[in-house]
Amino acid sequence: MPYKILDKKELAPKHVMYKIEAPHVARKVQPGQFVIVRAFPNGERIPLTPVMWDREDGWIVLITFVRGKTTMRMANELKPGDPILNVAGPLGNPAPIEKFGRVLAVGLSAGIVEVFPIAKALQEAGNDVTTLHVAPAPMAILKDEFRENVSRHIFEGFEIQEGWRTKEIVAEIARRGAEKVKELLSEENFDFVLTVGPAGAQKAVFNVVKEFGIPMHADLHPIMVDGTGMCGACRVMVGGEVKFACIDGPGFDAYKVDWDELIHRVGFYTDLERKALEEYLKSLRGE
Amino acid sequence: MAVRRKLIKERVPTPERPAEERIHDFKEVNLGYTFELAVKEAERCLQCPVNYAPCIKGCPVHINIPGFIGKLVEYRDDPDKAVKEALQVIWACNSLPATTGRVCPQEDQCEMNCVMGRVGDKINIGKLERFVADYAREKGIDEELLFEMVPKIEKKGQKVAIIGAGPAGLTAAGELAKLGYDVTIYEALHEPGGVLIYGIPEFRLPKSIVQSEIEKLKKLGVKILTDHIVGRTVTIEELLQEYDAVFIGSGAGTPRLINAPGINLNGIYTANEFLTRVNLMKAYKFPEYDTPVKVGKKVIVIGAGNTAMDAARSARRFGAEVIIAYRRGPEDVSARVEEVHHAKEEGVKFEFFLNPVEFIGDENGNVKAVKFEKMKALDERDKRGKRKIVGTGEYVTIEADTVIIAIGKHPNRLIINTPGLKVERGRIVVDENLMTSIPGVFAGGDAIRGEATVILAMGDGRRAAKAIHEYLTKKREGQNA
Ligand SMILES: Cc1cc2nc3c(=O)[nH]c(=O)nc-3n(C[C@H](O)[C@H](O)[C@H](O)COP(=O)(O)OP(=O)(O)OC[C@H]3O[C@@H](n4cnc5c(N)ncnc54)[C@H](O)[C@@H]3O)c2cc1C
Ligand SMILES: Cc1cc2nc3c(=O)[nH]c(=O)nc-3n(C[C@H](O)[C@H](O)[C@H](O)COP(=O)(O)OP(=O)(O)OC[C@H]3O[C@@H](n4cnc5c(N)ncnc54)[C@H](O)[C@@H]3O)c2cc1C
Ligand code: SF4
Ligand code: FES
Repeated sequence: MPYKILDKKELAPKHVMYKIEAPHVARKVQPGQFVIVRAFPNGERIPLTPVMWDREDGWIVLITFVRGKTTMRMANELKPGDPILNVAGPLGNPAPIEKFGRVLAVGLSAGIVEVFPIAKALQEAGNDVTTLHVAPAPMAILKDEFRENVSRHIFEGFEIQEGWRTKEIVAEIARRGAEKVKELLSEENFDFVLTVGPAGAQKAVFNVVKEFGIPMHADLHPIMVDGTGMCGACRVMVGGEVKFACIDGPGFDAYKVDWDELIHRVGFYTDLERKALEEYLKSLRGE
Repeated sequence: MAVRRKLIKERVPTPERPAEERIHDFKEVNLGYTFELAVKEAERCLQCPVNYAPCIKGCPVHINIPGFIGKLVEYRDDPDKAVKEALQVIWACNSLPATTGRVCPQEDQCEMNCVMGRVGDKINIGKLERFVADYAREKGIDEELLFEMVPKIEKKGQKVAIIGAGPAGLTAAGELAKLGYDVTIYEALHEPGGVLIYGIPEFRLPKSIVQSEIEKLKKLGVKILTDHIVGRTVTIEELLQEYDAVFIGSGAGTPRLINAPGINLNGIYTANEFLTRVNLMKAYKFPEYDTPVKVGKKVIVIGAGNTAMDAARSARRFGAEVIIAYRRGPEDVSARVEEVHHAKEEGVKFEFFLNPVEFIGDENGNVKAVKFEKMKALDERDKRGKRKIVGTGEYVTIEADTVIIAIGKHPNRLIINTPGLKVERGRIVVDENLMTSIPGVFAGGDAIRGEATVILAMGDGRRAAKAIHEYLTKKREGQNA
């Protein structure tokens, strides 16, 4: 059942926005939930997060960070008016939208797109919300949207050094994120912290939050296949128990997550992902 | 039948591709009968009278087996007619014969009871069923039959929602559509078929066959909404507002894991994840298909059901050395005999009385070995008739860089959390009409049985369709009165 792409835009380098007709998702989706998208007949199923939606008009907005073959193919090959083959969902549990008081919501790298609907809902639920976006300098996306919807939005950008690879970039996101969170928590009182982003960076932020003893919610990104609890690919250790992130999560109490195991598990396919990307780039060059 | 036949003791074998050829691809292993061979095998059948025929009693959906086999012999001079007549007999009880002909454990069902077994080989009922379905599909005979059927359907003006497009849901949908109901299937994945699509590999059940069975349902007017997860996209409560009845055929999709240290090490797959990557997502064609899978050089599959065989044989096709490790003995292997036989031919090794107690990882968090406790069997038997086993306190460690856990599954949690739905030990509770604790909501297949078989799921689908028809007929009459 194909879903039409109503609009597509590049928001910043490597950040592409798709507005997609998906009434079955738009009707139901809550902040913190995700969809599984399969864009091509030989394509992968990947989880992505509805960032905005319109229940009546039946559309959702997805924003991808172009990192591997699938997100790159989507950026290169999909045009407005085209169909996306599958958009399944909404999946996962909604984020906790309660009255916490002062909330710090941290989007590490592309994690910021997922922070948006949650932060907005928390603000609407009567919280005082500060959002922090940590990313390479040209990637300051959704600034206006955040400023309209939360009490305060901070963009912590940095320049990428010559020759840095993904690993170094993620390490820098982790370092900067942890530093900035430490600064904020030292100077102000927060009642609740939330993070989305690469597991390594989330762990670095968690280590800071832990020192302050503030409750923290982490939306996790393990590898997923079906997203409905059928395959077990997304399993994470939480509080000493195996949980399936797609149906028990994706959000968990950060204090209970086995971070090191999660970091290992997300890295399992890195070599094959790189191979797929290289082959794809070769085919683009006509080799 | 008055004609006395000469007893032919030996089965007419079906051609199979040699093991050394087939472990290099995912193409079908068994090639099935030609018409000539099928007739030869059909002639062996003694044509036991229908009210006696033990094969019919052994079939969970009671196909008139001598009836369909007899047609092949009766019209041997007109293959198309023979198949058309035979297919009609099968369809009266079973709408997916190309599938059941391939995956039913016939040796424990129809064939187990066949009287020919007293003097020679039992009739190869499964392969005959498969032959009829395949020939009919290839010649368009099934389409022809459908076309004759569709105009006769009288619309009832009532709507039924089906949850899950596995064998239970597909069968219920087909039966209800034939009765004139407006049927919509809600399927979570991007492709309908359930385990037939995501679990059972291409080399055992080609996906094109399942797809063609589904096309036929569409021709009967069944609508299929993929990407719709009941419990998330829509709830059963909401379905009840739009539909007059609901059937739950959501299967037993949640994999069981082993509660042992190291279960989340990289390289440890559930059979569902492994088979879904390989079958549904075609990871064996990576990178032409985008979904990767990693199969190491040494693979251990834990469990000994059909799922374990499928995982083991798939892993062999990636060139791995494969061991199936099972905590019980050879007599308790639950997989179909044909699959065990094929697995052995393909070089899968079997180790018995080994119970995993720990998964051992390397410094990168990848699995490198499994530690097992050696088990021994007692004379006592458990409820399922399997011998009880106990640990011996002795341990062995076997190296492996990939481990696939195939020890069973639970029903899907998204459905069983529905308020008001009575569930026991993870299974949906139904009454004798397959109605759940929610009026108008019926259920069948693995969702109520735990892991069972394709034919039992289909039998439930058919039974539920009948019960739903009765329920809706009353409802209609109530409204008209
Ligand atoms: C619940 C959930 C919600 C998600 N929502 C979104 C979303 O809204 N938008 C989105 O873009 N993604 C989202 N993701 C992540 C997304 O699904 C995956 O990144 C996706 O698999 C990418 O596919 P790919 O083939 O393009 O990249 P892959 O081939 O899978 O490879 C990704 C590569 O990029 C690298 N990489 C991973 N993360 C980063 C990073 N932060 N910075 C730099 N490099 C990185 C990895 O090392 C890896 O090699 C979500 C994931 C989950 C589980
Ligand atoms: C690898 C493997 C090999 C097997 N081999 C054999 C064999 O050789 N012979 C045999 O007889 N049996 C075999 N079985 C068992 C057999 O496949 C099952 O008993 C049968 O498929 C059950 O049918 P079902 O319709 O109840 O469920 P399923 O086939 O599991 O189908 C359920 C469907 O419901 C969908 N679904 C689940 N939850 C939801 C939801 N919330 N909303 C919407 N849709 C949902 C699923 O995506 C799926 O498509 C095997 C099983 C496995 C896993
Ligand atoms: S029991 Fe065997 S011989 Fe008798 S009808 Fe059935 S298949 Fe034929
Ligand atoms: S993604 Fe398959 S169980 Fe969660």
